[in-house]
Amino acid sequence: MSSTRLYAPQDTPFELTEIKLSKASDDDLMEISRESGTGLSLDEMKRVRDHFDGMGRNPTDVELQSLGQAWSEHCCYKSSKMFLKEYIFGIDNRQVIDRGDAGVMEFDRDHAYALRIESHNHPSAVEPYGGAATGIGGIIRDVLCMGAQPIALVDPLFFGPLDYPFRKLPDGVKHPKYLLGGVVAGIRDYGNRVGIPTVSGGLWFDESYTGNCLVNVGCVGIAEKRNIRRNAVRGPGDVLILVGGRTGRDGIHGVTFASAVLTQDSEMESRGAVQLGDPIMKEPVMHAVLEANEKGLVNGMKDLGGGGLSCVVGEIALAGGCGAEVDLGKVPLKEEGLAPWEIWVSESQERMMLSVSPRNAERVFHIFKIWDVPATPVGKITREKRVRLHYGGTKVLDLELEFLTAGPEYCRPCNASAGGRRRKEKTPKAKTRYDKDLLKLLSDQNICSRDWVIRQYDHEVRANTVIKPLHGKIGHWTHGDAAVLKPVEESFRGLAIATASNPFAVAGDPYRGGKTCVDEVCRNIAAVGARPHSLTDCLNFGNPEKPDRLWQFREAVRGIGEVAKDLDLPIPSGNVSFYNESPKGSVLPTPVILGCGIVRDVRKCVTSDFKREGDPIFLVGETGQEMGASAYYRSAGGHSSKVPDVEITALQAGMDVIIKGIERGVIVACHDISDGGLAVASAEMCIGGDVGANLSLEKLGRLRSDVKLFSESNSRWLIEVRKGKEKQLPKDRRTKVVKLGRVGDSSLVIGSSRKLVDLEVEKLAKSFGSTLWRMVG
Amino acid sequence: MKVSDARVCVLRIEGTNCEEESYLSFKRLGAKPEKVHLKQLTGTDVTSDEKRSLADYQVLVLPGGFSSGDYVRAGAIFAARIKSRLSRDMVEFVRAGKPVLGICNGFQILVETGLLPAMSGIMTEVPEAVLSTNDSARFECRPTLLRKVNRGSCAFTTKIPRNKISAIPSAHAEGKLMFPVDRSKSIVKELADNDQLVFKYVNPEGELAGYPWCPNGSTENIAGICNREGNVFGLMPHPERVFFRYTHPDWTRNPEGAGDGKAVFESVLDYVSKKL
Repeated sequence: MSSTRLYAPQDTPFELTEIKLSKASDDDLMEISRESGTGLSLDEMKRVRDHFDGMGRNPTDVELQSLGQAWSEHCCYKSSKMFLKEYIFGIDNRQVIDRGDAGVMEFDRDHAYALRIESHNHPSAVEPYGGAATGIGGIIRDVLCMGAQPIALVDPLFFGPLDYPFRKLPDGVKHPKYLLGGVVAGIRDYGNRVGIPTVSGGLWFDESYTGNCLVNVGCVGIAEKRNIRRNAVRGPGDVLILVGGRTGRDGIHGVTFASAVLTQDSEMESRGAVQLGDPIMKEPVMHAVLEANEKGLVNGMKDLGGGGLSCVVGEIALAGGCGAEVDLGKVPLKEEGLAPWEIWVSESQERMMLSVSPRNAERVFHIFKIWDVPATPVGKITREKRVRLHYGGTKVLDLELEFLTAGPEYCRPCNASAGGRRRKEKTPKAKTRYDKDLLKLLSDQNICSRDWVIRQYDHEVRANTVIKPLHGKIGHWTHGDAAVLKPVEESFRGLAIATASNPFAVAGDPYRGGKTCVDEVCRNIAAVGARPHSLTDCLNFGNPEKPDRLWQFREAVRGIGEVAKDLDLPIPSGNVSFYNESPKGSVLPTPVILGCGIVRDVRKCVTSDFKREGDPIFLVGETGQEMGASAYYRSAGGHSSKVPDVEITALQAGMDVIIKGIERGVIVACHDISDGGLAVASAEMCIGGDVGANLSLEKLGRLRSDVKLFSESNSRWLIEVRKGKEKQLPKDRRTKVVKLGRVGDSSLVIGSSRKLVDLEVEKLAKSFGSTLWRMVG
Repeated sequence: MKVSDARVCVLRIEGTNCEEESYLSFKRLGAKPEKVHLKQLTGTDVTSDEKRSLADYQVLVLPGGFSSGDYVRAGAIFAARIKSRLSRDMVEFVRAGKPVLGICNGFQILVETGLLPAMSGIMTEVPEAVLSTNDSARFECRPTLLRKVNRGSCAFTTKIPRNKISAIPSAHAEGKLMFPVDRSKSIVKELADNDQLVFKYVNPEGELAGYPWCPNGSTENIAGICNREGNVFGLMPHPERVFFRYTHPDWTRNPEGAGDGKAVFESVLDYVSKKL
């Protein structure tokens, strides 16, 4: 620290500093904010100063750091909260059990499932392997601390193009190929080791992600309802037991790092903000935590994530209407010599806080002992709503909880970018044949087979994965739409899990794009025969202090909230990640939706691969001239501002037809229509089944051929119906169901008034299957 | 003895993570499985209620996972802990003809302890084989087809007809079974002569085929082996993941019948009911 004018080191055997806020000028305040790495704004610093003036003293470094963590964008959602309240939080129904670190929903009479998704973007951009691995670790703890056994992981990833020229890379930015390799390896080595299957996710590529990749991680868990816990203490007297890994200097200021824009110096300055993961600590932590909880020994628990102890102690105590006293000297450390403030804010991994009644503490220690996991009493719960912190007999922090946790909430300026010229509509030239265009789309980085990634993740451990991420005849595979797990041994009830995002559509029209994301996740869930039940979202956007970025955020959230509300889909958890910008600008606005659905009997589920020659193929849903943000326009150089909209009644009707058709055993294969439109969807179904199809698009009406082939209009599915059962296919006047042709032969032939596509399935499979292997294999 | 009296010890340490499904595979067939931490057998840190003796069980299962993170070499740490504290109990268990099953990480542990291939004696001083890194140098989670080549010695496959192809999936990074290079051919021949080969990776036609049908590059496509007596069996693929048809990778194309892995558990319980 630079000057004694602002800092007064205390006469203690350890590092402790009084921060002389009371007489600090505005410039001084900003200098303190910068030097402490807290990233607090001038107004926030003034609020801190005034608060301490009121108490007649200056803060310690521990107190200032604590406030810096609690008031960071990452922890208190200060820029996003007002929009989330308006559009998201209000969606409620009786199936919602809790909204804690993870949302908890009813699964059946006796069981509940927990779900959450969050980002680990900035750490992964700096250190892809560790960043991604600790992302998995963190999301598992979010589900675990609700009392649920994690049963599935989900990983949507966004990178710059894999063929991005090295010479164009800005300073301090790592190549997308390196980032993809590191992130996948991190997820693989952590996820596989902890024994939780990775069942869903996604891979997107766009130049805007080059300087700031996005790594989102989701987790779903299951519990008997009686084992669900709140992230709250029971009352005064509870012992706070810190379990799991030791605390070190890794992961200091992770939340402030996440709440600022990446720069070319991030690598050097913020490497220490990335934590180190240890899956073989996490694995026994899960066993021990669940065992202690199932035996009724735990009153409440919470995971140590962003902000470390400084956030968890205050939050878990206040949630139970109490305060806490903690002795920092008791925290088990990785190394000697950490200053109290470092112990307090460190985000070292694999740690959880358990609140336990004193009479149960010994039994809890014993369970952790058997698993060789440290479990240490570090504090106790008090009646008064304050946090008091001691170290080596000295009081180093004494704060009112209401002040500590009452982070600011902003209503920042928000409007569509002015000046930006509207891009002119540009329609690609009509062609007589589209074989080459289809092959090009199938091999597009954003569409091609993800088997290179998927097969590195164990998607079957726990032996509950009924519908897997890849579908098809043995030796052939195509993408599925949703995974289905059978989480309860005695029941055939299934939980479907799907991921969706369409950053291109959101960039084109954030409101319609937000709606499109929800439509897609619902399509995915319905496509396996499940009924959508709840959502969780990770909203990745740019700098919210820029009005146009915040406008994109608001519009996208409005779109998401509207569709979710109409479909009665609660969003009981979620995460906002702002400041996804690098010197090259903001990433595409990227809301990611993780959806869960319920299927009554998993044995009725269907996959996307075509099954049998001769079966008729139908299209469900209306195709429109809305090519904005479509993969075809992006690939063929077209542009349209008309992004597909969502018609709620058509979406509901479409889902009804699909779900009932699957339940009745009429539909034997189903695939939602998304990137690349009907042509790509049908090609994927052929590839999985290793069989051709003959389709006529004449009944799609008076549309251009390329629109019929490649439109990404929402609420549409392609289905194979068991021959002879066509009449049993449910009907609904609010959506359109038309027969297009049949499964058969070894080529995909698509025609309208004349032939548009005629390609051998083997050739389709080669285009679809080789891109990632060629570029990163 | 009756199957309902058969006690199955599903042994675990930190990083073992297929214990639940292994446990359920025996429970569904009416046996008495129990998830047991290694410390319960060695008596470390446990109360007298929690302490267990290996001799009280009829079947020992080493489930899949990443015991101790597989950081030294897959299965090496778990194997070292077993060897240092439980060698005598293990040898007696095997000598008594009681069956031992190692799946994936469990197979790696059995090889590291010297309980497999065990071409002479029950447990060799040093490992005679190794499960090395896959040829692809990657973790491979994919459907695999196994042809039963065992002629009848193996207690875990008696309910599977010879040459039948079973769809039992693989998920591992270190599954390439290798022997000392200079003696590899003669060792494999000896294993075949002793009827210690159990499963081989094949293509849908039943032929030995390369990647991805053989996911790891294993010597002569070997997926699973047993000891000379046939009561110790290890394999890389996971039969417990296909106990039911509806967890097969392609079950929606062919939904009828039981899962292909079920027969492994039925076979060993049949052995227990007849021989113990």
